[in-house]
Amino acid sequence: MTGFGDYVRMARSTRAETDVRFSLRQVAQRIGVEPAYLSKIERGLVAPPSEATIIRLATDLGEDPDVLLALAGKVGSDLQAIILRRPKEFAELIRQLKNAPDHALLKVVREVRDGNW
Amino acid sequence: MITLEGNHLTFRFPEVHESAKSVLQFQRTLRIPDNGKHYPLPPGLGAFPLRHVEDFTDRVPKGWRERAGVMMPLYQAEAMWISFDAGWRSRGGYPCAIKVAAGKINAISGKPWTPELDGSERDYIVVPEQPWLDGFCIAKDVIRQFVAMPLGSGYSVEEQITGKPEHGGLQFIVYPMLRERYEALLQQRERSSDHWAVAGASSLVLRCAAEPVRAMGLAAGGRMRQQIYADPHGLDAWDQSSSNRCFVTLVDAVQWREITGEAPPTKPPTAADYTKAGLPWFDYYAADLETLGGAQALALAKSVAEMAEEKGEQVLGPDGEVNPDTIINIGPGEISLPKALPRESKR
Repeated sequence: MTGFGDYVRMARSTRAETDVRFSLRQVAQRIGVEPAYLSKIERGLVAPPSEATIIRLATDLGEDPDVLLALAGKVGSDLQAIILRRPKEFAELIRQLKNAPDHALLKVVREVRDGNW
Repeated sequence: MITLEGNHLTFRFPEVHESAKSVLQFQRTLRIPDNGKHYPLPPGLGAFPLRHVEDFTDRVPKGWRERAGVMMPLYQAEAMWISFDAGWRSRGGYPCAIKVAAGKINAISGKPWTPELDGSERDYIVVPEQPWLDGFCIAKDVIRQFVAMPLGSGYSVEEQITGKPEHGGLQFIVYPMLRERYEALLQQRERSSDHWAVAGASSLVLRCAAEPVRAMGLAAGGRMRQQIYADPHGLDAWDQSSSNRCFVTLVDAVQWREITGEAPPTKPPTAADYTKAGLPWFDYYAADLETLGGAQALALAKSVAEMAEEKGEQVLGPDGEVNPDTIINIGPGEISLPKALPRESKR
């Protein structure tokens, strides 16, 4: 929990150093929560917010939503739906790739095919 | 390699540098009036959905399958802009040179598509310096907005220049900066507290009967103030041995559901309604960068309004009175400014 809060606080406060729009109050207002609640999230005093709030927060801070969701111990509902359609295959795929380096992961990522034009 | 991540097209060059990547996104926007006035930059209203063409091979024409790439839905007379994100959130991003064409007509030079970078032609843009491209470059600091029209109707810039409705869509080829040039640049950035590079820093109508799938081309819309920046690094900065290219097919939005099973985005508001609501427009200037002049071939192309009048057709809805009062001026390093505003990734 603190990992999530620490990360959010650092990301927000770094931006706040050069841009007042990233004050606790303004960020909270934009993502639709009370400043006091965001403060508690940042200090790890409450559990991370809902998936929708985390995504709004990531978007506002320019952070990757999947990374923030993972820090909150969550998996995006879109990813859950994908895995649940073919649980056996995806579970095996993830296990197989768990220790693969980033460049190897890129090799299994689907590429946009280029044709003749 | 090019990947489709959400609605972003990500061009990566791991063989050049682990950080070498550039992200393209296509933003829905207002169509500005085509009345001779020059308008500021309109907002972004969210990204167009992108899908792999090869996922719908049984529902798209053979020519589309052969070109592959990705596709996205646009309504007739809908406007769009292209967002280039070289990773400005990670402080600076990786510089890339990008050629952009519509219907295989270069959007900067007005010349037919060639994949190579040619310094004498000055027909490419450089990211992160160029955060956005909203249209065809017709004069210095003036573009005509990208507006979708059915391919074959004679409105697209491609048809006006070549006389044929052959390709439509958008075409891109991206070249990363040479590894050694990037590393030198990185050192320079680290020495300087001035993150110049942060500059770049950067929902319908259903048809019941199955009709032939309709491709769209990009035509010239209203005039907009937008600078197109010249390459500040020089031609020798780019790794021309590494490139990725992509064809983006534009699909008539009313046929999007027939092809993909998904609802297309709703039509955007009119520029008049948006402005009346007091919502902001934008201006972006990088005073210290050289800007490119416009292409005569593109300047000579008739706009949608001009051609509709000539043809006696009614293809555009009424523009209404559009007097942007709220204009937010932004410059390099301030791209994240309008986050709180109705613009998803920029302005």
